[in-house]
Amino acid sequence: MSIAALIGALLTAWFGLQYGVFEYVAAIDFIDMRLIGLLVGTMIIVEVAERSGLFRFGALYAIKLSKGSPTGLFVLLGLVSAAVSMFLSDATAMLLMAAATVTIAKLLKYDPVPYFISSIIMINLGGTSTLIGSPSNMIIAVQTGMIFTEFINYLTLGEVALWGITIFTLYILFKSRLGEKKVLPEYNPWESIENKKLFYRSIFVLTLLVLLFLTLEHLGVGPEAIALGCAILALVLSGLDPAEIFKRLDWETVFFIAAFMFVVAGLEQTGILSDVSTKLVQLSGQNPLRATLLTLWFSGLASSVVSNAAVALTFAPMLTAAFSGLNDAAIKSALVFGTNLGGATTPLSGSVVMVALGALKREGISMSFREFTKIGLITSILQLAFASFYLTVRFGLGG
Amino acid sequence: MAKVKKWIESKKAKPKCGEYDETKREFEMAIGKPFITVKVGIPEGFEDFRTEFLCLEKDEQFQEEIKDLVKKRLIFEKRYGKPES
Repeated sequence: MSIAALIGALLTAWFGLQYGVFEYVAAIDFIDMRLIGLLVGTMIIVEVAERSGLFRFGALYAIKLSKGSPTGLFVLLGLVSAAVSMFLSDATAMLLMAAATVTIAKLLKYDPVPYFISSIIMINLGGTSTLIGSPSNMIIAVQTGMIFTEFINYLTLGEVALWGITIFTLYILFKSRLGEKKVLPEYNPWESIENKKLFYRSIFVLTLLVLLFLTLEHLGVGPEAIALGCAILALVLSGLDPAEIFKRLDWETVFFIAAFMFVVAGLEQTGILSDVSTKLVQLSGQNPLRATLLTLWFSGLASSVVSNAAVALTFAPMLTAAFSGLNDAAIKSALVFGTNLGGATTPLSGSVVMVALGALKREGISMSFREFTKIGLITSILQLAFASFYLTVRFGLGG
Repeated sequence: MAKVKKWIESKKAKPKCGEYDETKREFEMAIGKPFITVKVGIPEGFEDFRTEFLCLEKDEQFQEEIKDLVKKRLIFEKRYGKPES
């Protein structure tokens, strides 16, 4: 994926400079270093927190809380999946939840597939309402100026409702396959934490990060400064070897986003995006409700076939230009919902599904393309339909 | 259709095997059936038995003998504490 984006960036640079679409000096600014800073900073903090065992502790605690009840386990694993993906990248969250699901399913002799599908869908949903919840949210934040508190104000209530609706729907769909109640072995999740000092320090840095994001308006700096500052603090406090941490960062995502950002900026210079914006304005008829729903469903459908980071990078500048003057908050919120919700529709929609299928294959468990797509389509359409209703009510677009 | 299927297959991410196995091991140690990995080098003076030595890794009878040794050791430790070396 990243290699395709890098080739795209190279071709954009070559054509753009060759045909005088843009100057070399202007092209240097195509990559927004604020976004790269935010991405890398957040990744460092999360990598340190992951090494402390914080997220594993959450998953182990959820399993213990279920007391061997399949319904409890299904709901709690779903909730933990969504919660950990508020911080971890989708792929990393999936690796963690796949390992947890396989271990517990083997132990209690449950069919792991329903638990796996639920985790995939909940990981994709988790973090929709936070600025650092996904790379696409970071892109929208940096490119449209949407701040952390706006994410929470506009989207949290909708996301909480979506968690409930999605888990309930998945439960109805998988009820018959969850298995019988079993006895869980006695264990203490606390014992899985090898370095308690690192554990507490990671919680401290994550809390500080959220608190600073909440007060961002008064600090006079951008979210990237907060993320990078907290990342340095995490590295210092953890005492871990920074080289080891840097090695484990998701550089593929960073390079993909940087390269794709270059392609989009190049396209912007050609005027193609402004033509599409004009078409969108015509389609919406300058009606805020129609513009919001158009944004939501268009970005939702697009992110079901291509990476949501790519959708956010393409749509954020286009929609900001197209619908300026309409209900700005509603449009941005629709874009956040759309880019996030379409990501688990088919196995090709995003990295989370790919990683899950890979883990299942390694365990010798099969889940067909069709089986996942059936569930993915139902939940994605339901989520987008609910988001349409929520945005209409939340921003008073109905009348 | 076969080409499409092949393309889809090629798009499936290869699991980051090492990372996944590492994470799974952590869960297994906490709630599943714990296991230990002991590295045993070929004993001194037995260098000529290289092939036989390497075959032991997959020898089921040998694994059973190791399990028995572990059981005996655990029972001994429970009754009399750690044996003096």
